[in-house]
Amino acid sequence: MRRTLAQSLALYATVIFTLVMILFPVYWLLVTALSTTDELYRLPPTFWPDNPQWDVFARVWAAKPILLWLWNSMLAAVGSVALSMLVSVSAGYALSRYSMRGGATMGLFVLTAKMLPATLLVIPLFSIFSSFGLIGSLWTLVLAHSTMIIPFATWMLKGYFDTIPKELEQAAMVDGCSPIGAMVRVVLPIATPGLAATALYAFVLSWADYAYARTFLVNSPDNWTANLGITTMQGEYVTYWNDIAAASVFIALPIIAIYLFLERYLVGGLTAGAEK
Amino acid sequence: MTDTVQAGRRKFFDLARPSRQHLLGYILIAPAVLMVAAIIVWPLILAIDLSFQQVKIPRLGGASRPFSVSNYVWLFSSQEFWLACWVTLKLVIVVTAGSVGVGLSTALLVNNRFEGRTVARLGMALPWAVPEIIAVVIFAWMFDTSFGLFGWLAIKLGFADQMIPWVSSSTAAFWAVAITMVWKGFPFVSIMCLAGLQSIPSDYYAAAKVDGASSFQRFRWITMPLLMPVLGVTLVLTLLWVFRDFSIIKVLTGGGPLRSTQTLSIMTYDQAFQYHNFGRAAAVGVLTLVICIIASLLMLGRRSKSIY
Repeated sequence: MRRTLAQSLALYATVIFTLVMILFPVYWLLVTALSTTDELYRLPPTFWPDNPQWDVFARVWAAKPILLWLWNSMLAAVGSVALSMLVSVSAGYALSRYSMRGGATMGLFVLTAKMLPATLLVIPLFSIFSSFGLIGSLWTLVLAHSTMIIPFATWMLKGYFDTIPKELEQAAMVDGCSPIGAMVRVVLPIATPGLAATALYAFVLSWADYAYARTFLVNSPDNWTANLGITTMQGEYVTYWNDIAAASVFIALPIIAIYLFLERYLVGGLTAGAEK
Repeated sequence: MTDTVQAGRRKFFDLARPSRQHLLGYILIAPAVLMVAAIIVWPLILAIDLSFQQVKIPRLGGASRPFSVSNYVWLFSSQEFWLACWVTLKLVIVVTAGSVGVGLSTALLVNNRFEGRTVARLGMALPWAVPEIIAVVIFAWMFDTSFGLFGWLAIKLGFADQMIPWVSSSTAAFWAVAITMVWKGFPFVSIMCLAGLQSIPSDYYAAAKVDGASSFQRFRWITMPLLMPVLGVTLVLTLLWVFRDFSIIKVLTGGGPLRSTQTLSIMTYDQAFQYHNFGRAAAVGVLTLVICIIASLLMLGRRSKSIY
């Protein structure tokens, strides 16, 4: 399709205008972080600070245990992703390869699990965790995030395994490989992109959680995750928006970096099974 | 003799045997089933059980209270519950419509061929990668009552003659929540629609062009019908997300002012962890789940399989 010059210009103008609108809040976060308090509490607003306060990042990093918060988020995410993948990979493989009684029921169950509101599940989980004395520990998050991850990961992985021809394992087994060996040595290496996409997506899910962290960890500041920590910076009387914005940049950065560099995998995870 | 027994034994554990194949399937799926039973099914049963007890703060293993429907009776006769239903419905409609509108149009836009398309695609969906809490931080500041950008813009553009009290006015608070959620929610729709658009063979468009179809006709009779399955699933997933969302509303408005942004999700949480009425909270939560299930089954109908 050839476009006239006017059409090309219109297209570029629309794309640029839309991008500016969409990305403006992210830009505003940066501007807010770099502005002085005086500039923030002034109208009309400052669209680019006269004297960008780059040291705000060092100041907030020193004033707040941001590294600790990020570390806790990381532990919870790695823990829940590892635990969930461990059980989901073999379950997804089994659902893809073996016709089992109750396979359809499993599907219906996954559907229901996707609809389960965290605000409902958090209630019984709270009583369960408190009777095991787990409240305040990061293990609560590992388990709670797994409730979100396992159902979707199992189904997503089943979808990936479905795209790998069965003949590959059959050939391996004819050559003397055991069924487990065929799965581990033949199918899993081929499914690596699928596994990576699922794990990445699960990581993002865990990183985004706020409801569980707030409920289980609010009284143990040492285990606060990034999301929980940042909400405590919102003051009751005065809120230092530049500090919060700077801390937000630290917390959003890991996920945005993952997104920018591994977009193909992440988006592959999102759209798996969308084109049926 | 011993040899044959051992051979028999080895055979018994030989999972490669066709008759043992199903056994292997069950073994592989068992860990996941056990985990799900322990961390989803059991808690869910506890929650349903809790919703039928008049209980403030439950203790596991404590004496179970007698069966009672008082939580549900309280719910159906309380104004708060019906208000929360209404707020949820409004928010679901506004945010889903907004996300699908913006998501579909951005997807169509970056589906065009142009220089720098990859970068444009990355940028369009970037809000998806911004954690919800951070999105709330940005928008809370932009919606600040005294020095927020949006209030200033509204005055500049002539929509208001003074700063808008985003937090204390019911209507303004509702729209603040809705706008934040659309910004966070549309990239998902966009990503899904783009994937759907790319799976449409370009031959279809070429053929339609040969037949003299206008670009609107091509959109109406090729793009839309072929995109419908993806769009349907996306719509339901977005709807479920709004239904269950906690962090955006909780941190932005806390459900206020005067419960004008209190959805069923927020009501569930506050009943439990603010007023310590775990029984009532469980009842609200169970009803939310039931509504979610009914709504998505109604919307998807026979196509419900594709949501897996």
